[in-house]
Amino acid sequence: MSGFGGVLPWARRTLVERDKILTSEEFSAILGICQIVPGPNIMNLAVCVGSRFGGARGALAATLGLSLGPIAIVLCLALLYEHYSYLESVKGLLRGISAVGVGLIASTGFKMLRDEFRYPAMLLVVLLTIIAATVFHLGLGYVVLLVSPVAIFIARKKAQAL
Amino acid sequence: MSILLSLFLKLSAFSLVAFGGVNALLPVLFNLAVHQEHWIDVQTFSDYFAIAQAAPGPNFMTVTLIGWHIHGVLGALLATLAIAWPSSILIYFLQRFIMGIKNPMTKQMIQYSAAALAIGLVLSSAWEIALQINHSPAAYVLTISTIAITVFTRWHPLYLIAIGGALGVLGFI
Repeated sequence: MSGFGGVLPWARRTLVERDKILTSEEFSAILGICQIVPGPNIMNLAVCVGSRFGGARGALAATLGLSLGPIAIVLCLALLYEHYSYLESVKGLLRGISAVGVGLIASTGFKMLRDEFRYPAMLLVVLLTIIAATVFHLGLGYVVLLVSPVAIFIARKKAQAL
Repeated sequence: MSILLSLFLKLSAFSLVAFGGVNALLPVLFNLAVHQEHWIDVQTFSDYFAIAQAAPGPNFMTVTLIGWHIHGVLGALLATLAIAWPSSILIYFLQRFIMGIKNPMTKQMIQYSAAALAIGLVLSSAWEIALQINHSPAAYVLTISTIAITVFTRWHPLYLIAIGGALGVLGFI
């Protein structure tokens, strides 16, 4: 519920630092798996952590607990939007927020990119993905099909080198 | 009823290809919702994106709002369920499989390649969505400043969202 700007940092603080449910390494390992699999990362994380402690029922409880509160809040905001979206100030407000929002998404990418400089060959994979997606406008399936052989090849070398 | 069914099926399929999370695939969602299915228009999409960013909670809420637009609360719940269930079931079984891989090298290899792919997708996504929702040079300046501030400082994103909102209300963006 208090996960402004994404829930991930908050999840880490609660699970690892405060409640000590998971160790830092376990958290990173689980997160790594969640990022491989498609779908909302944080939902995947909830499934992994929940199922670890309560099987399928734990997974269900974790995902519901994570999503119901925020859904209620966002729908209240949507109601307000319905009534006041004609106001020039509300339009401006949303323009400002979305410009920041897109910047926040980009900066997640840039922060993750910093780790890749430890093994610069991997940057080639990032670059290929960007070119395939933005310059050639390939669908996601083709991007993954095209880039993943290169990615796996370089990742293999990286795993051996580090 | 048929539009609800189509919403559910289309979003379920979307969930299964959403490598790198929903934000990495915003342009795909944009195409699906605006150009292919005509669920919403461009302006509504970018407004919903803004609301989802400003609200607390997971950042796939843009999907929830699209569902709400189509069919109220039921649509919202259905859209959220659709985006979550395929990948949740997939990871429920896959996590045991991946945790069970004994060779640490193979595990590393999978993680490294997935990470690089996800970074590329997230950056492309930000670029394409910026082209759709930023309409003025000032908006681009705000986006680029946001990137610079979050990469080089430890400011909480909420402050930036508040600043962006305030600038917008004052008519700068």
